[in-house]
Amino acid sequence: MATASKPQTGMKSAEKEELLRIEGISKIYDGTVKAVDDVSLTVYKGEIFGLLGGSGCGKSTLLRMLAGFEAPTKGKIYLAEQDITNLPAYQRPINMMFQSYALFPHLSVWENIAFGLKRDGMPKDQIAERVEKMLGLVQLTKFAPRKPHQLSGGQQQRVALARSLAKRPQLLLLDEPLGALDKKLRETTQLELVNIIEQVGVTCVLVTHDQEEAMTMASRIAVMSEGYFLQVGDPDTVYEMPNSRKVADFIGNVNMFEGVIEEDEPDHVTVRSLECIHYVGHGISGHAGMQVGVALRPEKVMLSKRKPKGDYNWAEGEVIEIVYFGAHTTYHLKLASGMVLKAQEINSTRDLSCGLTWGDKAYAHWSNEAMVVLTQ
Amino acid sequence: MSHGLNKYFGKAWMLAVYMFLYLPIVTLVIYSFNDSKLVTVWSHASLRWYSALAADADLISAVWLSLKIAFVSALMSVFFGTFVAFALNRYKRFVGRTFLSSMANMPLVMPEVIVGLALLLMLVSVQHWLGFPERGLFTILLGHALLGTAYAAVVVTSRLKEMDGRLDEAAMDLGSKPWQVFTLVTFPLLVPALVSAFLLTFTLSFDDVVLSAFLSGPGYNTMPMVIFSRARLGLNPTINAVATVTITVVTIAVIASSFYTSHVERKRKREMALAYSDAIR
Ligand SMILES: Nc1ncnc2c1ncn2[C@@H]1O[C@H](COP(=O)(O)OP(=O)(O)OP(=O)(O)O)[C@@H](O)[C@H]1O
Ligand SMILES: [Mg+2]
Repeated sequence: MATASKPQTGMKSAEKEELLRIEGISKIYDGTVKAVDDVSLTVYKGEIFGLLGGSGCGKSTLLRMLAGFEAPTKGKIYLAEQDITNLPAYQRPINMMFQSYALFPHLSVWENIAFGLKRDGMPKDQIAERVEKMLGLVQLTKFAPRKPHQLSGGQQQRVALARSLAKRPQLLLLDEPLGALDKKLRETTQLELVNIIEQVGVTCVLVTHDQEEAMTMASRIAVMSEGYFLQVGDPDTVYEMPNSRKVADFIGNVNMFEGVIEEDEPDHVTVRSLECIHYVGHGISGHAGMQVGVALRPEKVMLSKRKPKGDYNWAEGEVIEIVYFGAHTTYHLKLASGMVLKAQEINSTRDLSCGLTWGDKAYAHWSNEAMVVLTQ
Repeated sequence: MSHGLNKYFGKAWMLAVYMFLYLPIVTLVIYSFNDSKLVTVWSHASLRWYSALAADADLISAVWLSLKIAFVSALMSVFFGTFVAFALNRYKRFVGRTFLSSMANMPLVMPEVIVGLALLLMLVSVQHWLGFPERGLFTILLGHALLGTAYAAVVVTSRLKEMDGRLDEAAMDLGSKPWQVFTLVTFPLLVPALVSAFLLTFTLSFDDVVLSAFLSGPGYNTMPMVIFSRARLGLNPTINAVATVTITVVTIAVIASSFYTSHVERKRKREMALAYSDAIR
């Protein structure tokens, strides 16, 4: 890896007690489809772990193996040091909240939440007490006698959450918990969900294909592709220090330059690309002459009409597109090489700050620490 | 063709189709109240053939036999059909899966005459070797259940397919052992399909004549068999009377069940609308 790795300073990783450990797990369907490919992972108590990746990368398969619906082809799963690889789903102290909620349509909200408790043979009065508590937690007390089809999407989602929390599982699995909600409801529900999870204090593994959702909800994320993990880390580490072109591309927007390392010094590196020369203010583990990618986030690019000083870290282009988002504006700059560079400017005053319009010549520039050099 | 004419043509066409479908039945019902001994000539209205029917012990016992056979064979069909549907839908891989699936569908496409003949030959040789079963009630039941199982399996399969497999997983996830998954979740959700499979196989058995003819023994004549044999001897208005009674019963059942389903559906729609207006408030 050619990136300088940032020390793990996330406060959560310090005082951690291990809860779930996955060792070299694989799932091969029909002898050929490698849905999950040799994945190892440790999840600590109390954390919300996000599994992020595109469609078909094996997120659900991994989750289903944790729940016990799918037997791994290879590998082991430990929960609190106990090997649960061959334990049937109904004996695992793990509960799952399903993507489509999977509420029992013939049972009322109350009975749905009580379902798991009854299977455990809990005394009736305790069941009632627990169900009432869960209903209170998700604010659905007055909907207890309703059937699932008599609830709105958001309410169904909360019933599903209450049902999966009722048994006080050691581990809660969430498969696209907000996937069926519309965008607006989703944002408020994200925070609500995190609040409830933190109130209960349950450890979670959350599957999502929405990177913003993963960033806001999870304390650590894994970026998955084709059945294996590309990178595991805090959301900000993964965002600021992606370890490969794939991760940089998947998480957020990025401008990707392709170039060759010219100077490789302990305190800085220069990379020559078609567009400009990049001066990176820290050393990397590459060598001169190496083919690398330079990733630059649009919000780290500044625009001006005057030519920047120095020979490094700027490029000249023509404004071909201005996309207004309200809080910020994204400018598309067409460079001489044909590359389109995106620059995101915050709209801090009401007149658009740098006064650029379509067809203007402009200079994009950025600091020594703005970009990441990628070898993969 | 102009739009207006098109519309009239459509209506006329519909009318013709309905006439074709229902006119014979209507005629049959009307003529069951005909006093004349000739089925084609109207004299005046009377209940003569209904009292004749009440006195016709052969026909009455045939109706009873048919009802009994239909009831029991429908129960058997639903029972076995559910097993077949389950095996084929919930277990992806087992030895003989393809064999079972083609065998289960075979009676649907095989001409009934062939099925009847094959069963007859088999039963005759079994009886030859083992001394039973005597041809009669039991063998008819067997044949009807065989055919019905195939139909019931189709009905149950279609319901199982549209049922969310996640529900089974959710039940298991919450601590249900496999048999509890069935009794607590799958079965309750399957009930409507089982009811319609029962009704379908019941009517299949009730009006079956081919299999019954092959498989019945002396003294076991089902209603369709009696009607069939009497019709060949010359039409007797008593048949019209028994047909009318059957039609009345079936019609009432059909209307009641469709009223029931549409009532349930409307109630569900209303409640869903309510849920969303609640959520918005
Ligand atoms: N039961 C199965 N039999 C065969 N292949 C399967 C099965 N389930 C999943 N796969 C394959 O395994 C791969 C991973 O599937 P999975 O459902 O885990 O993806 P995912 O990451 O959850 O995607 P999505 O975001 O679309 O839900 C896919 O290529 C899929 O086609
Ligand atoms: Mg999935």
